[in-house]
Amino acid sequence: MPLKAIDLWGHWGAPNPWKVCIVLEELGIPYNIQSVEFSEVKQEAFLMINPNGRLPAIKDPNTGITLWESGAIIQYLVDQYDRDERVSYNSFPEKYFTQQWLAFQISGQGPYFGQATWFARFHPEKIPSAIDRYVNEVIRVIGVLDKAIETNNTGWLVGDKCTYADLSFVTWTSVAEGLLRELNKLDGLETRYPRYTEWLTKMEERESVKKIRERMARGRAEHGLPP
Amino acid sequence: MAAAIHSNSAAEASKGPQQPLTLYTTQTPNGIKISIALEELEIPYKVFKHDFVARTQKEPWYLAINPNGRIPAITDTFSDGSQIHLWESGSILKYLVEQYDKDFKLWYPAGTRENYELFSWLFFQIGGLGPMQGQMTHFNRHVTEKIPYAIERYSNETRRLYSVLEKQLATSQSGFILSKFTIVDICFWSMVAASGWAGVSLAEFPEIHRWYEKVLSRPSVAKGMNVPEPHPIQVLMDDKTGQKAKEFEEYSRSWVMTGMAKDAEGLKKRDPAC
Ligand SMILES: N[C@@H](CCC(=O)N[C@@H](CS)C(=O)NCC(=O)O)C(=O)O
Ligand SMILES: N[C@@H](CCC(=O)N[C@@H](CS)C(=O)NCC(=O)O)C(=O)O
Repeated sequence: MPLKAIDLWGHWGAPNPWKVCIVLEELGIPYNIQSVEFSEVKQEAFLMINPNGRLPAIKDPNTGITLWESGAIIQYLVDQYDRDERVSYNSFPEKYFTQQWLAFQISGQGPYFGQATWFARFHPEKIPSAIDRYVNEVIRVIGVLDKAIETNNTGWLVGDKCTYADLSFVTWTSVAEGLLRELNKLDGLETRYPRYTEWLTKMEERESVKKIRERMARGRAEHGLPP
Repeated sequence: MAAAIHSNSAAEASKGPQQPLTLYTTQTPNGIKISIALEELEIPYKVFKHDFVARTQKEPWYLAINPNGRIPAITDTFSDGSQIHLWESGSILKYLVEQYDKDFKLWYPAGTRENYELFSWLFFQIGGLGPMQGQMTHFNRHVTEKIPYAIERYSNETRRLYSVLEKQLATSQSGFILSKFTIVDICFWSMVAASGWAGVSLAEFPEIHRWYEKVLSRPSVAKGMNVPEPHPIQVLMDDKTGQKAKEFEEYSRSWVMTGMAKDAEGLKKRDPAC
C-alpha cells in the first residue's frame, strides 16, 4: 500500500523543520508542509500539537502518531521507514553512534548556533561578550565535527556512509556559513577544518540536501532574511 | 537450576572477562542523570571523576573517548566482547535502557507510540531546558559583569520551559511526566535539582515542586545524585550565611571562565597535540 503523506508543521526559513525534510526526502516519504508563522506557535491551536510551541512537529496518518522535537521525529522516521538502512544502521555499535551524533546536533549545535545568530544578527544592541561566547562555540563545534570525521576516516561521522546523523547538521551549518561570512570569520576555515569542509561539500551534492537548502534559502530571501 | 547456571556461565565465558561499565563524570546535572539511571537499573559501574579546574576533560586520552570534551561519557563492553565509548547524556540513557532494561522499568517497548513520545520529551530536555538553564546559570552566576538583557532573555526562556513541564505534570495521572517513572523524569529532575542555583524558584511551579520531592524519595535517586560526591545544591541553598554559595560560585566561575578563554585561544591556533 502506498504511504500516505506525512503532515509536517514547518516554516519558510527555520533550520529545525527543514532538517526533517531532508530525511523525508532521503527516504522518499511523501509529505505536506503546513506553514506556520512564529507568531502562531505559542497559540493554543499549535500548543495542542506541540506543548513546547516550536517547530517542527509531524502527524503521520500511516500510524496516527503526532510527534515534536526534530530529533525524536528523525529517530521515528528511520525506525519506521528505513528498514533497508539507507541512511541509518541497525548494527552495533553504529546504531548507537548515529543516535549519539543526533543528540549532539540537538543539544550542542542547534541551541548554540541559534544563540549566535540571535546576538550577532537580530538583537538590536551589540553585546560583544555574548556574540563572542556563541560564535566561539559555533567554531568549537565545527572543530569537534572536523576531528570526528578525521578519526572515523571514511568522510562520514559514523560507519562508511552518509547517515541521518551527518544530515542532521546541514541546515544549521548553512546558517552558520552565512553568519560567519557576515562576521568576516569564514576566511581560513576551509584550511583549518578541511575534513569538515569536504564533508559538507559531499552532502551538498546530494539531491535531498540541494533541494531543501534551495527551498530554505529561497524562503529566507523572500522574507529578507540572510542565508 | 544447575543447567541454567551452566548456560549462564558459558555465555559469560564467551564474552571474555566482563569489565564493569565506566562512567566518566563529575558532580553536574548532566552527570547525575547517568548515575541515577545506573542505580535504578542496578548496573554495576566504576566512576572516573573529572577535574574541571585541571581540565582533565580536555586531555587527549579523554577526547579519544568523547571528542566534545564534556561529561558524561561511558565505556561499556558489548555482548560480543567489543568495547563502546558513548557520550551525550540523552544517547547514553537510550543505550542503557535498550541494553539493560528488558523489563521496561524506565521506558516503553521499542516501536510503541508511548516510546516515540518519550523521546519527544527527552529531546526537549537535552535541546531545550538543558541548554537554556545552562545559559541562565552562566549569566547569573559566572559572568562577573552583569548583562541585564542576557539574564532576562535566559530567565524568561527557562521559566517558559519550566511552565511547559508544569503543565504536563498538572495533567499527568501518574504524578510523573509520562504514565510512569522513566528516563525522562531522570533527565528533567537532574536539571531541576539545580534550578535554585540557576535562579529559578520552584515556588513559581508547584507541580514541579511536588514531583521533585516525589522523585527525590526514590532510593536510587538519593544515591545516584551523590555521584561522584555529595550533591552541593541542597547544601548551598540551605546555607543561610551565603558563604558556601559564594565559594561554589567562585569555584564554578573560575573553571568556566578560564575554560572559555582557553577554548578561544585554541580556536586561534590549533592545538599542535591534535
Ligand atoms: N529542539 C527543537 C528546537 C525547535 C526550535 O527551536 N524551532 C524554532 C524554529 S528553528 C521555532 O519554532 N521557533 C519559534 C519560537 O521559538 O517561537 C527541535 O529540534 O525541534
Ligand atoms: N549535551 C551534553 C551536555 C554535556 C555538558 O554540557 N557537560 C558539562 C557539565 S554539565 C561539561 O562537561 N562541561 C565541561 C566543559 O565544558 O569543559 C549532554 O547532555 O551530555
